[in-house]
Order: sequence, then C-alpha cells, then structure tokens
Amino acid sequence: MTAPTASEVAIGDSVTPFSRTVTQEQINAYADASGDHNPIHVDPDFARSVGLPGTIAHGLLEMGILADAIAAWAGGNANLLSLSCRFSKPLLPGDTIICTGTVVSVDDAGTATLEVIASSDRGDRVLTNGRATVRLSR
Amino acid sequence: MPDQSHVGRRYSAPGQRIAPEAARAMARAIAGDDPVRDGDAVPPTFAAVYCLGPTLAQLFADPEVGIDLAGLIHGEQSFEWPAAVHPGDVIDATAEITGIDTKRGMTFVRLAMEAIRPADQAVVCRATSLMIVRAPA
Repeated sequence: MTAPTASEVAIGDSVTPFSRTVTQEQINAYADASGDHNPIHVDPDFARSVGLPGTIAHGLLEMGILADAIAAWAGGNANLLSLSCRFSKPLLPGDTIICTGTVVSVDDAGTATLEVIASSDRGDRVLTNGRATVRLSR
Repeated sequence: MPDQSHVGRRYSAPGQRIAPEAARAMARAIAGDDPVRDGDAVPPTFAAVYCLGPTLAQLFADPEVGIDLAGLIHGEQSFEWPAAVHPGDVIDATAEITGIDTKRGMTFVRLAMEAIRPADQAVVCRATSLMIVRAPA
C-alpha cells in the first residue's frame, strides 16, 4: 500500500480501516514486552474476582494497534507525530479490534489531523476521543 | 490516597536504553499474528517502556501518595513524538503529577511526562496520562 500524499488527502477522507484479532497469547506477549504484568491482563481468576468478565487487553496494546493502523496508512511509524485517546471499554481476548479514522484537517506543511476510534467486533467503542496527527509527503 | 498536596511531585528515570530486542518484542506483541510491518523502527508506543513504565513505577511505589494498584484504571493517554527514537538510544524520562481531583469516590490523577535524548537534547516524547483510582470496595 502506498501512503497518500498531502495533496491527495481531503477533509472527510477515511483512513484505511484496519482490524486485528487480539488473543490471550498476544496479551501475554504484550505483558512481557511492556513489563505490565497486572493480573487483570493475564490471570482470568483474578480478573473475575475484581468484577471483570475475564482478562482484558492492556489499553496501551490497543493504542499500539491503533498507532499501527494509522502508521500503515501514513507510510510508516516515523510519520505518526501524535496520538491520544480515552480507554472507554475493555477489549477481551478473542475480540477483533477495528480501527477507523477520518481526516479533519490538512495544513500547508502536509500535517494531517485525524479523528480516530477503535471498536470491538462485539460493538463496544473501546478507544474513544481519539486524535492523531501524521506527516504526509507533499 | 492521592490528594491535592501531591500535585507537582516529580519522578525522574534517567538512562533508559532503547534495547533493540525489547523494541522488536513490543513490535511483535502489537502485531500479534500479523507480520511486523515497520520492522526496523521502534514502535511509537514503546514510549510505554522508556517513558511511562519507569516513571509510573516510582509513582506507584511512592508511599506518601499511596495509590491502591488493585483499584487502578488507565483512563486516557496522549503521546507526541517530536523526534524519532532509534534502537540503542539512551533516554532520560521525567514525570510530574499535574492534577488530582476526586469525584464520585474516584480519584483522577493526571500526569505529564517528557523523554529527552541527552546526546542531542532532542525531546523524543511528550505524554500525558490519566490514572483513575477507585475507592476500595
């Protein structure tokens, strides 16, 4: 996939939708990679004991996938300048996270601002109030 | 419990080395069953490891603030990456508590972090986090 240039991008354009199914193995790998071994992510019995339906993905794993989705559209990690979001609903192992975005502005320097969101295939909005800026080639 | 008196408290984590194998492990964890797309680059959210992790660990261990980890929720996160981080870089990270509010039995702790590469004084990441501490049941 070739990244769009700034002149090819208009307000209202969609970021290429991106989905990825998150497994418990992946959550375990993220716990090791991030150093966040909070048992709500890796121990189903503990997670249920604090009122969750089971283990949940790390919010920062979901945000990492959202970053991956935006960087894929923008032509690489180096073109992602900022990303922010709210962790609204948990993502459970086996869920597919679906990342979408819309261009809300493009400036003269080729920096595009996007509204982004991630939902689960169960219909939950897991990452909300998402905002990203990306550098596009001119 | 955290309270207003803790606003302004700072945590410092100098000398965070961007280990190439650790950055690759995070890229693989984010990719899951998909191939890693941008293999040579440090994943942007690796800032969790060189910036958030080492400073938040100090906050969570700070007995005077007394955050109950059992009731902790990561509410919001923002990152800015003014310059790219590369494998082998050494980064100094700092964090500051910028706000503490209590509403409906929950305590909202706001933090601002900054990560600087001393070799060229580049700011490689600015971040803000909202941590929500639920009152014990």
